[in-house]
Amino acid sequence: MSSKAPEQKRKFRFLPEGTSLHKLSAVATLLVLIFAFSFTSPAFFTVNNGLTVLLQTSVIGLLAIGMTMVIITGGIDLSVGSILALAGVIAGLTIKIGLPVAPAMALGVFTGAACGFVNGMVIAKMRITPFVATLGMMLIARGIALQLTGAAPISRLGEAFGVLGNGALFRIVEMQDNGFPKVIFPGIPYPAILLLVMAVLGWYLLQKRQFGRHIFSVGSNEEAARLSGVNVDRTKIWAYTTSGALAGIAGMVLMSRLVTVQPNEGVMYELDAIAASVIGGASLMGGVGSISGSMIGAFIIGVLRNGLNMAGTSAFIQMIIIGIVVIGAVYIDQIRNKN
Amino acid sequence: MLDSVQISQPLVEMDNIVKTFGGIHAVEGVSTDLYSGEVVGVLGHNGAGKSCLMRILSGAMRANSGEIRVNGQTVDMKSPQDAREFGIETIYQTLALANHLDAPANLFMGRELKTRFGNLDDKRMLSEATEAIRQLNPNFKNLRDPVARLSGGQRQVIAIARAIYFQAKILIMDEPTAALGPSETAMVADLIVRLKNEGIGIYLISHDMHDVFELCDRVMVMNKGRNVGAFRIEDVNKDDVLSLIIKGTLPDSWEPRGGAE
Repeated sequence: MSSKAPEQKRKFRFLPEGTSLHKLSAVATLLVLIFAFSFTSPAFFTVNNGLTVLLQTSVIGLLAIGMTMVIITGGIDLSVGSILALAGVIAGLTIKIGLPVAPAMALGVFTGAACGFVNGMVIAKMRITPFVATLGMMLIARGIALQLTGAAPISRLGEAFGVLGNGALFRIVEMQDNGFPKVIFPGIPYPAILLLVMAVLGWYLLQKRQFGRHIFSVGSNEEAARLSGVNVDRTKIWAYTTSGALAGIAGMVLMSRLVTVQPNEGVMYELDAIAASVIGGASLMGGVGSISGSMIGAFIIGVLRNGLNMAGTSAFIQMIIIGIVVIGAVYIDQIRNKN
Repeated sequence: MLDSVQISQPLVEMDNIVKTFGGIHAVEGVSTDLYSGEVVGVLGHNGAGKSCLMRILSGAMRANSGEIRVNGQTVDMKSPQDAREFGIETIYQTLALANHLDAPANLFMGRELKTRFGNLDDKRMLSEATEAIRQLNPNFKNLRDPVARLSGGQRQVIAIARAIYFQAKILIMDEPTAALGPSETAMVADLIVRLKNEGIGIYLISHDMHDVFELCDRVMVMNKGRNVGAFRIEDVNKDDVLSLIIKGTLPDSWEPRGGAE
């Protein structure tokens, strides 16, 4: 019994010890970034900008939750950016037809889940590698989104469509004497709350449910999982479906924030999501990863983007910097795997 | 009377099993049986079809034709889950462990224990795994480590514990001692005797002649996909078995040796 005490101290028992270290270093990186950007731009470290970062990160964060699950199975999902756009287009078009906002958005999320389900079927049943299957879906979903809209944005969707992306909980607004409203407390943006809820749900699924355990098993050793009676195909199909559904939700948040449906939105978002997962410690070889890590990763990317914007760095330079960060993160991942 | 009926009923009968891959005949019309409380050695070259035959029995592979009967009932095993429902457990040569997961997660892989809310019952899985594993190896301490970091012997213990925890009636052991040191090999040998005495039927795939003659009641030898001989262990010696493995036939001078004693 005496040997039990040190065993229970370690929290992330599925992951090599290096992973908690990795997570710590990711948090440290995030703090260093925040600290550095506070100096380059005085407006960076303010409540309002903090909320902006939260808002911007929520989309990447939502994508990263699903991406993490897929990456833990040893796969990858390149289609989330396109699925996000298609889900938005479906929601926008059905609102135009006359559907109320809530069911239209639900339909959008369902579209995302359906695309993810197709990904899973193609990967599990047709035995096509995740890279190729989701690359195909990336083109298919984007193509459908552009075809349905004629590549034109859908606007004038009504105020209700913008609530999810622009609303906030506990927002306090006071009318001033001059007739203009004054925001006393900007509130907690709905997208941030949604991200928190989904992240907790994702953590619960991965760590506490059989489905999550099977995701780890499949990614760690697919053949062993199959021989042990894990339904490998079903696990994969559900992982990709979850990723698709989360892409759908991310689409709703993003389009709602713009109050316009843009079929061109979300190009290359999958790369941000993958980068967030990898920075957060997920291994592209499968079997390793965590939601909390990916959330830290998402915030590193969000803060990096926002901070560089505030410092006036051009979009081109930003691409270069984020590219270097991604390569660096994957390189660290490889060193970790060697040990 | 009742006893003799139970003894005459084999646990497993495999009848005329055929498995082909394209034009290659991996298993050609092999029949074998296994009784309760008996260890049957399955011998042969690499590629003789022994692992293939055992994979068919463990549900990991489906035969092209042939019949499998468990306790006299014809069964159709589409997956390892099906085989497990008939009490067939397999210890694979590769061990089939998920390296990133810890010992309890591996032991219960595919058969996770759940609380009544449907959540994973990690606490119970840990305590059950601790008990099951310490029966085999009392020195096993680091149960929460990913199994990638454990020694070959410890990994083997997890694979064995996984098979016997679920009350196997039929156990397939594919080279269970290949990766083990002397003391661990002795532990596995003791375990096989214990399980056999509990009435479990064991198919033991092994290359180690010493193990085979020590532990097995019967041997069957496979050569080029065929069953070239099944004997009580008393009727053959090592040279006879080697001849069967290499040539596919017994030495010309062979006669049942058990009868001479």
